[in-house]
Amino acid sequence: MLEAIDLSKMYGNHEALIDLNLTVRTGEVYCLLGQNGAGKTTTINLFLGLINPSRGKALINGKEVNINSDTNQMIAYIPEVVQLYGNMDGIENLNFFSRLSGHTYSKKELVELLEKAGLKKEDHTKKLSSYSKGMRQKVGIAIALSKNAQAIFMDEPTSGLDPKATDEFTTICKELVAEDKCIFMATHDIFNAVNVGSRIGIMNEGKLVHTADTSSINANELQELYLKTI
Amino acid sequence: MYALMFGQFLRTRTCQIGLVLILILGVISILIGKQFLIDQEKITSDVVENHAGHLKRNLEFHSDDIGLLLYYLEFVLVNPSSPIAALSIGQRDINPSVQSVNIRTLEGQRHDTDLVNPVSLLHGNLDLSFIILFVFPLLIIAFTYNLRSEEVESGTWRLVGVMSKSKFKFLLMKLAVRIALVLIALVVLIVLAALTLNISWNAAFVAFFVTGFLYQLFWFGICFWVVSLRQNSAVNALALLVIWLTLVILLPSALNNHIANKYPVPEALTTIIKQRDGYHQKWDTSKRETMEKFYTKYPQFESFGFPPEEGFNWLWYYAIQHMGDEESLDDSQMMRAKIEQREFKSRNWAKVVPTMHTQVVFNDVAGTSLTNHMDFLRQIQDFHEQIRLFFYPKIFHDENAKQINWEQFEPSYVQQEEEIDWIGNLLPLTIGLFLFLLLAVINRKAM
Repeated sequence: MLEAIDLSKMYGNHEALIDLNLTVRTGEVYCLLGQNGAGKTTTINLFLGLINPSRGKALINGKEVNINSDTNQMIAYIPEVVQLYGNMDGIENLNFFSRLSGHTYSKKELVELLEKAGLKKEDHTKKLSSYSKGMRQKVGIAIALSKNAQAIFMDEPTSGLDPKATDEFTTICKELVAEDKCIFMATHDIFNAVNVGSRIGIMNEGKLVHTADTSSINANELQELYLKTI
Repeated sequence: MYALMFGQFLRTRTCQIGLVLILILGVISILIGKQFLIDQEKITSDVVENHAGHLKRNLEFHSDDIGLLLYYLEFVLVNPSSPIAALSIGQRDINPSVQSVNIRTLEGQRHDTDLVNPVSLLHGNLDLSFIILFVFPLLIIAFTYNLRSEEVESGTWRLVGVMSKSKFKFLLMKLAVRIALVLIALVVLIVLAALTLNISWNAAFVAFFVTGFLYQLFWFGICFWVVSLRQNSAVNALALLVIWLTLVILLPSALNNHIANKYPVPEALTTIIKQRDGYHQKWDTSKRETMEKFYTKYPQFESFGFPPEEGFNWLWYYAIQHMGDEESLDDSQMMRAKIEQREFKSRNWAKVVPTMHTQVVFNDVAGTSLTNHMDFLRQIQDFHEQIRLFFYPKIFHDENAKQINWEQFEPSYVQQEEEIDWIGNLLPLTIGLFLFLLLAVINRKAM
């Protein structure tokens, strides 16, 4: 589903990403760990087509991604902080972004999507400006669901979420994977990565230095490996 | 999608305050235009009554001496303002719409005017054309300067990038929402103006409307180009305000200054001096010499012969009055040529400065331009000559004033039909609009 072949990105003389090679299949959650500046967000930006690679290529379903490609029709994205239109409510924001991606839903379907993302019904019609980070995250998930994309990119999705919200988020991720979606997640949260992930990659200074299968490593071992790597 | 975009934008303070402000200012400008029309209508309706009184009084006092009667009698030519003039007052409040002239020298009379409201001369008129030219672009800037940057700065741009098929198309849709709202505001004001001022939907009004419409689109073109450069909101706002200042204030002022300096009109003073000297010196010139010059111009009156050198004679008096105009003729023509040259240069420059061009078009279609006034001055000259030629034989024959049908000398009205040059009016704005849109489309890939 997702493939990086010698994917590299330079900002001036700084190498933000160096020869990344990886493959993520459908039904997988790939978690990318690393410090700030390790190249996680750059990797996501390259797959989203927000920037062009300096070298190599990113492929989605075999199609090369670049600024002008239409590969973003196959993907969805949940940022660290889901920023939406504060003067619209949850349903309106979901309606807005789903229509933007070319999907039109009835009000009933929009409500169902928000409920599936875990947003309480009484919050659906509140203005986004009054939402907590967790509530925004849920609208972001509903937006991703509305697109019915095969691959979902998440950038630090649990950062700043309380334990309950993190748990709810993990549950949703597992449900998505069960529907044969593929999730590519950049995170600092080692325990959540082990909990939700299928495979884990550790990045340092733009390079993918370790990969591990979560079935063969526990959280403590991963933490030890991570600390050694950075 | 558009309904959601409209809803989202209509809820912003910028949109609400901007629209309310433009509508309030627009209504005020229409009311100012209405007051202008009321004043103009009062002037032109009072003139009928005043002129009748003027005729009656002078006939009472001087009907026994037609030469003396014509010394005092004034005849009125009116350049009526159409209702559309209220939308673009132009030079109508500084140049007279009603001109009274007697049959003596013309030059001293045809530039006579009263300043009705010197304060408004200082700051100009807050008419609808001012709102369209100056205020609407500011509204457009406020609506569009952060078209893209607000998404980037609020963090929604990445999500938009992933969710939309084309970010450029998304920005175009946002732009379309703003265009629709601004044009709706313009339509509301235009319709309100038409109803308040009783303006009929003739070619001139349609030209005013279409030009105003295109002018707004031109500004949207500029704004969209600046947005396409992908700078932050502060830089966009600053760039657009600099463009506004340059196009709306600096360039027109600089060009006006340049043209005024390049084509000075000292003849404005020398014409009057020569006319006065030309007339006064004839008191000391032999009557024969004066009459010979007069008969050269008007051979049809040669049969009246030469009056005696001693004593006063109306034939000779009106000949020396005429000499005043003759002596200042070259300067008068030069002054007119220079004013027309200034106007010609201004109009040429206006073709590349859309703000000036729009103002020129507005004044043209409203009949309030300098060209309109120059035509009126030309018609005053013809009117004056026509009156002179009617009365000269009567004065020279010393006819009885009571035998003249004075009712035929009611105020006359000039009809100035403005031909609408659709291509000339709309082409500069259309070229400007497409130029900026093209520049924006070139930046499309990077957006």
